[in-house]
Order: sequence, then structure tokens, then C-alpha cells
Amino acid sequence: MSNASKISVRALRKSFGSNEVLKGIDVEIAEGEVVCVIGPSGSGKSTFLRCLNKLDEITAGTVIVDGFDLTDKNVNLNTVRQHIGMVFQHFNLFPHMTVLQNIMLAPVELKKGTRQEARATAEKLLDRVGLADKAQARPAQLSGGQKQRVAIARSLAVNPDIMLFDEATSALDPEMVGEVLQVIRDLAKEGMTMVVVTHEMGFAREVADRVIFMAEGVIVEEGTPEELFGNPQQVRTQDFLSKVL
Amino acid sequence: MSAASENGFTVLRNKFRSRPGILTIALTAALALLGGSAGAGAAAASETSASVAPHTDITGETFVIATDTTFAPFEYRKDGELTGIDMDLIRAVAEREGFTVEIKSLGFDAALQALQSNQVAGVIAGMSITDERKQIFDFSDPYFDSGVQMAVAEGNNAVTGYTDLRGETVVAKRGSEGETFANSIKDEYGFTVKALADSATMYDDVKAGNSVAVFDDYPVLAYGINQNNGLKSVTDKEQGSSYGFAVNKGQNAELLAAFNTGLAELKADGEYQAILDTYLLDPAAASDTGFFGLLANSMPALMKGLGLTLLATGLSILIALVLGIVLGFFKVSPFIVLRAIATTYVSIFRGTPLLVQAFFFYFGLPQLTGQSIDVLTAGVLTLSLNAGAYMTEIVRGGIQSVDSGQTEAGRSLGLGYVTTMRRVVLPQAVKIMTPSFINQFVMTLKDTSLLAVIGFAELTYQGQQIYAANFRTGETLLIVAALYFVVITLLTTLSNKLDKRFNK
Repeated sequence: MSNASKISVRALRKSFGSNEVLKGIDVEIAEGEVVCVIGPSGSGKSTFLRCLNKLDEITAGTVIVDGFDLTDKNVNLNTVRQHIGMVFQHFNLFPHMTVLQNIMLAPVELKKGTRQEARATAEKLLDRVGLADKAQARPAQLSGGQKQRVAIARSLAVNPDIMLFDEATSALDPEMVGEVLQVIRDLAKEGMTMVVVTHEMGFAREVADRVIFMAEGVIVEEGTPEELFGNPQQVRTQDFLSKVL
Repeated sequence: MSAASENGFTVLRNKFRSRPGILTIALTAALALLGGSAGAGAAAASETSASVAPHTDITGETFVIATDTTFAPFEYRKDGELTGIDMDLIRAVAEREGFTVEIKSLGFDAALQALQSNQVAGVIAGMSITDERKQIFDFSDPYFDSGVQMAVAEGNNAVTGYTDLRGETVVAKRGSEGETFANSIKDEYGFTVKALADSATMYDDVKAGNSVAVFDDYPVLAYGINQNNGLKSVTDKEQGSSYGFAVNKGQNAELLAAFNTGLAELKADGEYQAILDTYLLDPAAASDTGFFGLLANSMPALMKGLGLTLLATGLSILIALVLGIVLGFFKVSPFIVLRAIATTYVSIFRGTPLLVQAFFFYFGLPQLTGQSIDVLTAGVLTLSLNAGAYMTEIVRGGIQSVDSGQTEAGRSLGLGYVTTMRRVVLPQAVKIMTPSFINQFVMTLKDTSLLAVIGFAELTYQGQQIYAANFRTGETLLIVAALYFVVITLLTTLSNKLDKRFNK
């Protein structure tokens, strides 16, 4: 676990006005590691995730991704973000584009090869998430689970080596959770570095190399799924797990 | 018609020599599009370049002379052409003295303001020579001895003299001799004086019963009564002051001298008396054509007006669109300076009345800068800056109404701010903004009617000209309103069709 860090977070603090949401987070994530972040709502899980690609400004501390310090003004955020895919709770697909256009947008705009190559990649990714037949559909015509699979394909199109999942299944009907988790599970098997904020405890236990339990803006406890779920050390962790398991 | 068009193009050529600008070019293009019909209207809109430098000989020169919109029988429109005692006099003098005049029909107050700000070289508007006015203007020899007379509605038998006015309201023309006289006796007879801007409005006010009597210059009143304006005079004329032609104090002395010389000549050979007789002894027969006669007679002038209304609307909307897009982006920009610029701009132009803005750009700005401005430029400047403020808010609102998750998705893919805006946010925002844009378009088209107050010869102005001369206010306004309604309905339908087509 102490081998070369893919993501290195040190003394991360984040305030919205006078409200401090993150109160000093330290975390090292290794290449290929799958980290699941759990905790009660309002614990700062999503904010922590959004600091990893600087969608939220960082108030204090450092976040180093792939060797790039995100708090350094000279670092080109757009370049760094191309290495970090992000999947949102509410999908955030572009409603004015077809599924294929959604996926092709970033590779084409960022000039990652020709249009034909982008199209081929997009079709391959759609096939991989099981939606090859939806290429010409509009987001509004898809179910929630299908939308989220398209969103995953879209973030994979720029070929990232880190994926961030922000409660990717929370907005889905129960019968659609499985299809999305399957895609994430496959990515984990392929060795993608992933940080997954989730409420799916079973899933966290199954795919995570490490589980982090956050509450009130701090990391309360972390460990392997067996340690954290099987033998939680902290009272707050025990409390939380007793409510959700 | 063709003479008027030629006149329009002459003015444009002069403008090119003196001060070529984007509006001139746009105007020329618009003229080419609209053909001859807009030519005459544009002439009224673009007459500028008042000569203010002293000259010893004014032969061959052109002077811009301002006058009232309608002060029959001194100035009014007949079949679209300005006519009346003042008009005949100034033209006759100009012909004798070898100079040319271009008449700007602005309204009385506006004409005086235009003279003060050197927008025009002189004013002839049935203006009484008073000590107060002599402080700021130089007057010619008197060319007409006027006087104030009172009139009441035809069916009113209760008021036969000033003593019957106790407790009543009377109306007089703002800044006129009639107002001064009415104010001088109001305490003695115990009535209230209300001021309005033109004769036709005052007569309608009396007919509608809002005021019991009107105090107006007797020739005007006599002419109106002869035109069956529904009033009657019940008292004798008060001996009043004399009318004079005015130039700005200390300026255009040669023009003033030429007027005096010409007037003396006209009086000597009887042409002066012939002009007066034409209007005062033998008033033109009242037009008693029906509604469709009025429609047919007024249509050419109204179409000219409509052309200018559309021209001003088109130019203003285009400029406002550019302003709105640029400043709308300023408003959502991360930079506080840009946001402050946009916010200040919007506050100023949304926070002041359009009418005040129009007066400011046409009268105020030239006084501050010493640079005269033509009425189309001032009008378009006013409307585009005003509409631009609303457009800014429409653009800001449109951008901000797109879910922030869309921007986050774009940025998290590594797309820059500009790319995210262009490919993700704007296509969605434009769809949201389009109905508001169409609405603003219609608002601006209607707002052009306010430019009538600075003498811009658009549709409402043309309507005012017509009913000021024929006193058929209701019918004329119905025609004007119907024209606005038809044009706006057509434009709205077209816009909505385009919206449906491109914003599916």
C-alpha cells in the first residue's frame, strides 16, 4: 500500500463560507487500487471526491494526482482532468446530443485522434457497457441505468487512468443498480484506479481493496473490507454499520 | 415623392462627406432595400450638419430649421407635406435670399432644445417673442401679431366667459403664450391650469370633458374650429405678443438678417398678405371623407413611418443582441471586474426610463460634448443600449438556467471553460432564451414609438402628424395601432416558426 501513490491527499480542508466540510483529510491511493468511501450523508464524502479533480476549490492542503499538484496555479487542470474520469449521481448527460455524440464530444474537442477514431472508440465503449444499439438515441429515451452506463462510457472515452464515482447508483431504481455495478466491477478487474463513493455496502465489501469510513469531515476509520465491515474499531463506524447493514 | 427621395439622398451624400459612420452605411443599405419609400422618411431622420460658423454671405447655403410638429395653420402636414404660414414664409424668404432650408418637424419644446444644443440653425414655430426667450435666443422682426383666445366644447353653453371657470380645469399648451395668459388670470377667476404638448391633444381633452376650456393662440384656434374640431370660441382674443423667427444667441446673425430682409420684401410686394390670407381667410375645407378615405390618405405617410420603425427596430435589436451576449457572458464570468461592468450597465439602463434616455442622448449628450447627433443615431443608441440591458439579463438567465451538472460534466472530461460553454451550455441556453429574445424584439419594436418625442419620423409620429392636422384622433390611432398589431403578429409568428424549427 505504500508503493508509488497515484493520488496523494494531505491535510485537505474545504470550507463553503464559514461551514467547514472537510477538516483535514490525509489519504494515499496506489495505482490500481479500488477505494470505496462510505459514511452518513453530510459527512463530506462527495466533497472529498470533487476535490480530487478540483471541481470544488481546495481551501487548504494539497492534492497530488499523477504527480500533478492540483493546488499549483501553473498546473493545467484540463490536462490533469483528462486522466480522471468522473461519474455523477445524476448522470449529467448532454441532453441536446445523441448517445454517440455524448461520448465523442471530449475526444473530438480535445483532438485525441481523428473523428473516425473517436467514433470507433465510442462504439467500442458502448458495446462494452452493453448499449451498442442505443448509439443514435437521445438521453431522454434511456432508462436511468442505461444513462449511467452511457455516462461511464463517456468518461472512459478520454482514456483515463483514474475513475471517480459519486454515488453512481443512488438515483437509480433498484432493478437497475445491478447493471451499473457490473460495469464498475469489470473496470475494477481491469486494474483501473478507482475512488467510489457509495451506499452499496455489499458492493463495497466485494470490490474494494480498501474501505474508508468518513463522518463529519474526517476519516474515522479505514481498512480492508474484512477489517472494516467485520471488525470495526471505532464507535461511530459501528453505529453507522449497525444502521445500514 | 421623387423630389423627397432625392432630397433624402442629398442629405446622405452630405453626411458622407462630413462624418461617415456605421449608421450612415446601414441607412444607405436600408434605403436600397426599402427603395424610394423610405427615402423621404430618412430625410427627416438624418438632417444634421447645422451650420453655426459665421459667414458673410449665406447664398447657396443650407440651414436646418426646426419647427413644431403641428401648430396649424402655422405648420401642419397636408398629404404628408409640411405646410402652413411658417413654412410658406421661411421657404419664400429662403428663395428670395438664395439659401436652402431643411425643415425638421420636432415639436415645440424639442425644437427649442434642439436650437439651444445647436442641432438646428433656427426655429420658426409660431413662437412668441418674450423677454425671457430673448435671454437665450436672437429674434427676427415680428412676422405675425398673435393673441390668446379661449374655446370650449361646442355643446357647452355653461361657460361664456372667464367668470364661469371657477373651480374648473383648463388646458393650455406647455410653454406657450396661452399658458402664460391662463396662469396670469387663474387666481383672479379661481381655475386650475393643466399643460399639454400639442393643440390636437388639448382639443381632445376639452371634448372629452377632462378640461372645460382651452387657451390657445387665436389663429390656431380659428383654424381648428374651421376644421370642425368640435370647439367654439366664446370670448374675444386677448391682445398678445408677436411671433418671431429665432436663432441661438449670438449665432447665425447672417441668417437672421436675411430673414428680416426677406420678410420686409415679402410685406412690400404683398406676398406676405397673400400667404396669411391663404390660411386665415379661406381655410381649407375640412376633410369629410369616411374612414376608408382617411385610411387611403394616411397610408403613404404611415408606410414611411413604418419603414423607419422597422429600420430602427432592426438596427437596435442587432446591436442589443451583440451587447447582450458580450455583457451576459461578463455577468456569469468568474472575474469580478467584468461582472461589475455588466451589473453597472444593466442597473443604469434598466433603472432609468427609456424616455429619459432618449432625451438624454438626443438633447443632453450634444450639449455635453458639443457634437451634434442625428435623430436616427440617437434613437438607435437609446433603444439598443436599453434593449441590450434586458438582453444581458436574458443571456445571463439562460446560461444560469442550465443545470450546473452540465458544466461539471464538461469540465470533468477535461474540456476548457470556453469549449464547455460553446458545446454544452450554450446550445441548451439558447433554446431557453429564444422566447425571451422574441419578446424583447417585440418590446423594442413597440418602444420605437417613444422616439416620436425626439422627432424621429416613425409610425406613431406620422400618426400624430395626421390627427394633429385633421383632428380625427380616434380613427387615426386605430389605424396606427392596427399596423403595429399586424406587423408584430407577423414577426411573432415567424419567430415562433423559426424557434420550433431550430430548437427542437
